[in-house]
Parts: sequence; structure tokens; C-alpha cells
Amino acid sequence: MSFLGANGPDSLIWWDWVDRHREEIKQATFEHLRLTLIAVAVGFLISGALALVALRYRWTYAPITWITGVLYTIPSLALFVLLVPWTGFTTLTGEIGLVSYTLLILIRNIVAGVDSVPAPVKEAADAMGYRPVRRFFAVDLRLATPTIIAGLRIATVTTIGLVTVTGLIGLGGYGGLINDGIDRTFSTPIVVGAGLSVVMAVTLDVGLAGVERVLTPWARRKVAR
Amino acid sequence: MSKRFPGSRTPAVQELSLELPSGSLAALVGPSGCGKTTTLKMINRLIEPTSGCIEVQGRNVVEMPLHELRRGIGYVIQQTGLFPHKTIAANIATVPSLLGWGKERVRERTQELVDLVGLDPELLRRYPAELSGGQQQRVGVARALAADPPILLMDEPYSAVDPIVRGRLQDELIALQARVHKTIVLVTHDIDEAIKLADHIAILNVGGVLEQFGPPADLLRAPANEFVANFLGRERALKRMALLRVRDVELVSGPVVEVSASVEESFKVMADHGVDWLGLRDGDRLLGWAWAADLDGVRSLGDIATEPFRAWVRPDTPLREALDLIVDSSTRVAAVFDDEDRYLGMLTIQQIADGMAQ
Repeated sequence: MSFLGANGPDSLIWWDWVDRHREEIKQATFEHLRLTLIAVAVGFLISGALALVALRYRWTYAPITWITGVLYTIPSLALFVLLVPWTGFTTLTGEIGLVSYTLLILIRNIVAGVDSVPAPVKEAADAMGYRPVRRFFAVDLRLATPTIIAGLRIATVTTIGLVTVTGLIGLGGYGGLINDGIDRTFSTPIVVGAGLSVVMAVTLDVGLAGVERVLTPWARRKVAR
Repeated sequence: MSKRFPGSRTPAVQELSLELPSGSLAALVGPSGCGKTTTLKMINRLIEPTSGCIEVQGRNVVEMPLHELRRGIGYVIQQTGLFPHKTIAANIATVPSLLGWGKERVRERTQELVDLVGLDPELLRRYPAELSGGQQQRVGVARALAADPPILLMDEPYSAVDPIVRGRLQDELIALQARVHKTIVLVTHDIDEAIKLADHIAILNVGGVLEQFGPPADLLRAPANEFVANFLGRERALKRMALLRVRDVELVSGPVVEVSASVEESFKVMADHGVDWLGLRDGDRLLGWAWAADLDGVRSLGDIATEPFRAWVRPDTPLREALDLIVDSSTRVAAVFDDEDRYLGMLTIQQIADGMAQ
């Protein structure tokens, strides 16, 4: 316990620093959460729209995944730096990058989820007299829910990690704490920033898993059997 | 009507013309590639015909709004196509909900259907994945019948369940149809299933060519050609025997005498029939039978200890079942009784053969 417990120069974390910077840590947590939620929400909306286009016009799926795939491969720091001359050190710069990283995962999962709906189920729905739009929302999308939420979970956890990078362009969040620690070769803010981002990732992931359970009672019962 | 799929040179169904009688069950049978499923799906326009016309109750289906047409036609498929995310109750209520029925009406109808298809009401709150294959298939039928459509389309409904359950579901369908009298179109590759269930069978060849159409017994007695004969398979007479019933053949009186008759008369009756056993009756009750040897030294027929006829049938017993009993019996005959156990006559192998020849 000595290396977490004491306040000597060798310990990884100085608890009295944590105590004195409560307000700052709270602020960082709030900013980190805000950046993450905006990114995932906006990313989900754009992905939903693009997935609809891809599902309706099949030929667009390849170019859509290609473009979002290219976006996904650009190193995050490079993307932020490239955007700064245009949009400055703003939330917008951060969010453009963050959102673009969620697109590939979310679009793929939405399309894969809808595609995985068994053909006999779709056929039965048509034969029962569902009209196309109603069938899409009442059958296809409902059955795609587990896959879509799986995508949201990956996107959320990934974004939480990436938000620490936006700290480098001065957007706050846990990245701010980590930068501060690196600049001063002082481990405590680094450990606090990294540790809390892990806690946030796990919390949101578990939360989304809970949402999935509530939204897909049929899947839960199947497991329970 | 015809159907040619894009990119295919030969039509899947070529100028098929068929009139299916309403209120009865017609089976479309044939090898894979014969277009039987395509034909079925053109009725509710899951597949649009390339040319021709399909009339349902005098209305051309192509001119009807798609969803309206489909809500009036029940549809049952092999893998049931139940909605995995909906409870059994919600699955059954699919079409009524689409039609905008009130809650109370839907609930009452669901209850009726559960009784009709023999489903445990406990299952209504479950999800499809929690049910056995047979139960799922019953739910599929209940869902198809929910809005009481005059027409029911069934696409290989029983091919995914095991043979024992399949047999039971087939029996249930026969009983169900006796109550609801729907116009049912059944697609199957199993000729025996078609023979068992259908009032009429259409045998299709590759490319949707109609080889023969008629009641199963007619097809079995007189297959139109080699293809139909091959498709019907071996033992056609036995298969037809399973369709014909005891009431379809003439019965004989048999070596049976009134219990009040004299012993001499009894020997004469046995001699006339060329048998060494005698049946005893008291009015329209059949008492049993005895060997000729048992009559030796007996003064009155009433003194004989008779054996009951173990081979006995009802008028609605299939001939095949009757034949099975006859060949297994000591007397080589089956006694026929009506539902009130009144004696109607004897059935022999000769009677069956004569009846089959008609």
C-alpha cells in the first residue's frame, strides 16, 4: 500500500493533492462526459441517417464504409491538429474528430443488425400486411437493437479514450489533468485522469448493457431458460 | 399466369392455370424447382406474377392494395416466421392490431384461437424462443387465422418439425379445417403429406408445368403419366386404401346366424360360406364367434361360449387400417359396427379389393 498510500516523492498518487483539487477533478469529469455524450449522440444521429441511406440504396454502403473507414484510420492527434487552422481550439474541432470516429462502428452495427433479421421473419411481416415503413420500425429495427447497442457501447468506450486526446488541444476533461501531470513530471494528475476515464468507460458500458436488457426482454428470457 | 425471374432464361412458372375450390384444402406438390412456392407466393404477391391474372374470390389480386390483400390472407411458413421480439399473445394479435381492432376484441379473439389450435394459455406471455417447434407451429397457425381470413396459405409448414410432432400437427390441421372450412393452399414436397391432408392435389413439374390435378384418390387410381406415377411412389393401392373408408365398400352378411337359429342351420351357413367358424347375433347386436368344432354335441346355440370379434371397425375407419386388422385376425374378417355398436356386416379382403376396383 505504500506506493498508493503515502505522500512521499516516490508514491504514484498524492491523496492530499487529490483532496485540494476536488473542484478541478469534478470539472474535468463533467467536461469529459459532455464531450463524450455529444460525440456519441451526434455520431448516432449521423450514422442512423447514413445507415438508412445504405439500407435503402445498397450501392451506397461500400462508399459510405470506405469514407468512414478512412476517417477512422486518421490518427486522432493528427486530425485535431489539421482541423485547428480552420476551427481553432474549440469544442467544434474536438467534436468533428470524435464524431467521425464513431461513424464507422455505428453505421456498420446498424446495417449488420438490420441485415441479421431472419428472412422468414421479414417475409412473415410482409405477408401479414405490414407496410414497409412500419415494418422497418416495428420489426427490423427492434430486432437489430442488440447489435445497435453493441455498437453504441464500443463507440462510447472508444470516445471516452479519445476525449483524453482532445485535452491536448485544451478542451479540458481528463486529458487536461494528464497533460498537466506530464508537463510537471508529476504522476498524481496522470493517475487520477487515466483512472477516472477507465471508471467512466466501465460505468457507461455497464449502463448501456442495462439499457439493452430493458429494451430486449426476449433475449433475456432466452438466456434465462 | 406465369413468372419469370430477372436473369433467368426459363420461366419459374409457365402458363399455369388452376382453379382451386373454395372451402377445401389444395396441395401444390412437386420436386424442387417446380415453382410450387413461387406459385403460392404469387397469391399474396410476395412474388409478383410476370403475366396472367390471379383472382381471389373474384377479385384480381394485382388490382388490390398490397397490405389490404395480405391482411385478408393467412400465411404460415416452415420456420414459423414468428416475431422473436414479441410475446406469443402479441404475435397472434399481429393482423388484428394492424387492422386497428380494440383491445378487448383482440383479447377475446386470442382466447378463441388458443382454444382452436390447442395451445396452453400460459404460453401467451412467453416469447417464441421459449416454445418447442410444435408449439411454435401452432402459434403460426393461430396468427395466420387471427383476423379470420377466408384463405390460408401454408408453405411447407411441417417440414421443420420431427415426424411424430408432424403427424400430430397434420391431424390437428384436419380437425381444424373440419371446423373452419378455409380455402387452404398448402405447398409441400412430401406427397404423403399431400395425400393425407388435401382434398385436391396439383402435381407440378419443373418450370411450373401442371401434370395432374384432382382428388388424391383419383390421382392414385389413375396417374395421368409416368411422372405423376413416379412422384406418387410405390404402393399406390395401399396409399389409396388409406384414403378410402369402410363405408365406401359393400359389406357382406358373413357366416352369421341369429342365436335362436338351429344347430343344423348353422352348419349349413358355414358350408355355404366355406368357413369353419360361425358368428352369432341377437338382433343388431353381434355376440361373438365360435369354431365349428365347438358346435359338436351342442343342443342350442345359446349354450356356446363365444369369443368376441377382435377385428372390428367403424364405417369411417380407413380401409388400410381395416385390412391390417383383417390379415391379423383368426377369422380373416372384420366386423363392422356403427357408432351405437349396431352390427352392420362383415368386411373381407375380397370386399376391399372389389371396392378399390370401382
